[in-house]
Amino acid sequence: MMRTALFALPLAAGVLAAQTPVQADTSDRRPAMPVLKVDIPPAGTLVAITNATILTASHGTIENGTVIIRNGKIASVGTGLAVPAGAQVIDGKGKFIMPGIIDAHSHSAAESINEGSRSNTAMVRIEDVLREDAIGLYRSLAGGVTTLNVLHGSANTVGGQNAVVKLRWGLPVDSLLFAGAPPGIKFALGENVRQTNVPQTPGRTPRYPRTRMGQEELLREVFTRAREYQAEWKAYADATTQRRKDAKLAEPIPPRRDLQLDAMVEILEGKRLVHAHSYRSDEILMLLKVAKDFNFRIASLQHVLEGYKIADEIAAAGSGASTFADNWAYKLEAFDAIPFNAALMAERGVKVSINSDSDERARRLYQEAAKAMKYGGASEEEAIRMITLNAAWQLGVDKLTGSIDVGKDADIAIFNGHPFAPASRVEMTLIDGRVFFDRNKAPTLDALIEAIKRRPRANTTSGGDR
Amino acid sequence: MIRRIIPAGLVTLALGAPLAAQAPSAQPPNRPSAYAITNTTIVPVVGARVVNGTVVIRNGRIEAAGAGVATPAGATVIDGRGLFVYPGLIDSGDRMGLTEIGSVPGGQDTQELGQYNPQNDVITAVNPSSVHIPVTRANGVTSAITSAQGGMIQGTAALIDLAGWTPDEMAAKSRVAMVMSYPRIGGGGGRGGFRGGQGQGGDAAATQNRQVQELYDYLRNAKAYNDRANPVPQNLAFAALGPALRGEVPVIFDVQTEGQIRGVLALADTFKLKVVLRGATQAWMLADTLAARKIPVVVGPLTAVPDGDAPYDAVYANPGVLAKAGVQIAFQTNDGGEGDARNLPYNAALATAYGLDPEEALRAVTINPARIWGVADRIGSIEPGKVANLFVTNGDPLDVRTQVKHVFIRGQLMQWDDRHTQEYQKWRARPRP
Repeated sequence: MMRTALFALPLAAGVLAAQTPVQADTSDRRPAMPVLKVDIPPAGTLVAITNATILTASHGTIENGTVIIRNGKIASVGTGLAVPAGAQVIDGKGKFIMPGIIDAHSHSAAESINEGSRSNTAMVRIEDVLREDAIGLYRSLAGGVTTLNVLHGSANTVGGQNAVVKLRWGLPVDSLLFAGAPPGIKFALGENVRQTNVPQTPGRTPRYPRTRMGQEELLREVFTRAREYQAEWKAYADATTQRRKDAKLAEPIPPRRDLQLDAMVEILEGKRLVHAHSYRSDEILMLLKVAKDFNFRIASLQHVLEGYKIADEIAAAGSGASTFADNWAYKLEAFDAIPFNAALMAERGVKVSINSDSDERARRLYQEAAKAMKYGGASEEEAIRMITLNAAWQLGVDKLTGSIDVGKDADIAIFNGHPFAPASRVEMTLIDGRVFFDRNKAPTLDALIEAIKRRPRANTTSGGDR
Repeated sequence: MIRRIIPAGLVTLALGAPLAAQAPSAQPPNRPSAYAITNTTIVPVVGARVVNGTVVIRNGRIEAAGAGVATPAGATVIDGRGLFVYPGLIDSGDRMGLTEIGSVPGGQDTQELGQYNPQNDVITAVNPSSVHIPVTRANGVTSAITSAQGGMIQGTAALIDLAGWTPDEMAAKSRVAMVMSYPRIGGGGGRGGFRGGQGQGGDAAATQNRQVQELYDYLRNAKAYNDRANPVPQNLAFAALGPALRGEVPVIFDVQTEGQIRGVLALADTFKLKVVLRGATQAWMLADTLAARKIPVVVGPLTAVPDGDAPYDAVYANPGVLAKAGVQIAFQTNDGGEGDARNLPYNAALATAYGLDPEEALRAVTINPARIWGVADRIGSIEPGKVANLFVTNGDPLDVRTQVKHVFIRGQLMQWDDRHTQEYQKWRARPRP
């Protein structure tokens, strides 16, 4: 039992005693987590990363390059740049830097993800259940991730409103939200929505829809309702305008506010991006048809494991595809998945990203992206884009992040070698030019082992928890 | 390019599709045939690399490997210029052949009812037609330890080669080990956990104590049974534990925590068991003890998140800590049909980023497991006389970007006929609408 206590907070906190406490207070709901307090530099620090190999994701690789960061933005990138006076210098010699990784499919910071009572829950919001102390955030940060698309689960045809977050670990929960990201919503199709892969709870009535036909019908139904609702509000607005001109007219009565339909109308008006969990080619084609009929665009097809079969149709619809690198066979609709999916879709003109959908894969998305080179021969820069710029485009934030270009947020991952090389790891992660992860200051296993060696041994004879 | 040397001269085979001219995937083992991989870099994993060497494969075996080795007449020649020859990779833990599609119950032979099933012989349920087999070997994984999950004693593990028409043909060593778990406080034992586990209220420590007591009682009874000359009535479950209790085969313990590992060590002392720890994410806490006791550890999968408050890199760094302490390590993917077995080398790669020596990482997926499983005289390295389980790449197999060019199992060149390559070729050829 004694040894188990090595994981307890006081000792681990002792390992980090040299660090200054976090500047921002955390939520009053929970105590702070001393074990992972990080020393976040103030916003707006002038930073120079020098002499690094820079994988820009947008305009090739710069050898021996420098990035200057001013007010959280990338001020200049290139070779032979002078380091401005007063800049904090990060020596990039021997290091590789790339844009902060963007995970277009995550559930990391969400306390709950499925409002599974009905199949359209467009009104519920991930923003309301975000947790700044979700440990997955810190571990992803340690894997070079800077932005997450936190989505609802796939229990419902329409799951709810997603939240795009930056991994500002150590700051209050409101600081997680990516201010410039357009709103979005999660859709889901196929087996999970059908709820046929899980044992039916005895006595519980199965929920509609139980088929892919039902899923199409539900979508057409809710968008039909949304159009009517949209028309009611338009009529109300017109009547209000009329009455302003003619006071004799009766005061118009506003339609009843419907939070679910509000979100659906925003989709119709192109103000809310749809991220659609989907697997089989037939259901994807169905969704693209529905979107066409109602005149909106699917921003990203999520999982889209059979996307390679209909890459041309996806490209023509202008939809992105966010997929796994090589996961397959975990369910029937994943049985036709192939690791060539990402590269083949990209070859046919689809903007492809590779996502994690998991706290585990999020830690090593750079390794996953390299698989697009192995399977199907994506170029190195294309593979880098699959976890950066393309994901940013799918989330509508590609003007703000996703590549190392002047004017963009300084979201950067620093590796000790090429991100795709086997022995490479993340040394440092910056968001808006601030270092949110630094391996040299992080509580590593090596640091813990050293601390254990230095620790006075009161009792070395107690056994395990047999 | 592959050339076959025939008396009339050299004929170059056209290779439009990858390796179109190769043998069917389920070739019977040891079918006479000869190959020479020439002008290549040989990475034997024991001893130094050979630059510009030749590997000769004949009758299922590595006949010769080294510089200055002559190409025998009649051998199919593979030009290995710019390429590398590695021994086939060995996944030391998965459920190959036992499951096809995760969500489809009809395809599952992974978990038997009840807690104690030493009599279950896993090779019985290995489906030689599983589509996972060609998909996995396409990345150079030529052998796997397959076993069931769940409960306290899962039955035997089998070392299988990833080719063959029948389970027995695939078996390189069936009953290579007995597989057990060890009760974990407040949770399951090993993979799959215990049904009706300790988590649902009550005193978790008391429950665990009871489960440990049951395990001891069961093994005591099994030992008493095996100590008798001609026990009647026969008990097939107890009899199946005989080899493990006599120390003839190792017992794989699927455990994670330090407490479980300490428990296993005590159990091993009591029953004189030969132990292989598997999983063992907290083994780093006992690295020196495990090294001193010469207990091998199969680490992995590294594609896992740390327990509780453990450091963020605890899972990745564990193998390096163990290896540095002198523990013999191997890797498992623990693939239960999710398709991870082909990623075995990338598990090892993650460990190299966090302290494991890259050469040791390579040994941990080749010769180390061959030694742990008692087959180092047959597989695990490129040495004359060994079974020709090997693969040819254009680079480091731990590097995701590396392409596997050819795979040999028992001297047979595998066809590029896996489901994924086939689907890729089929759909890549789809005319644009």
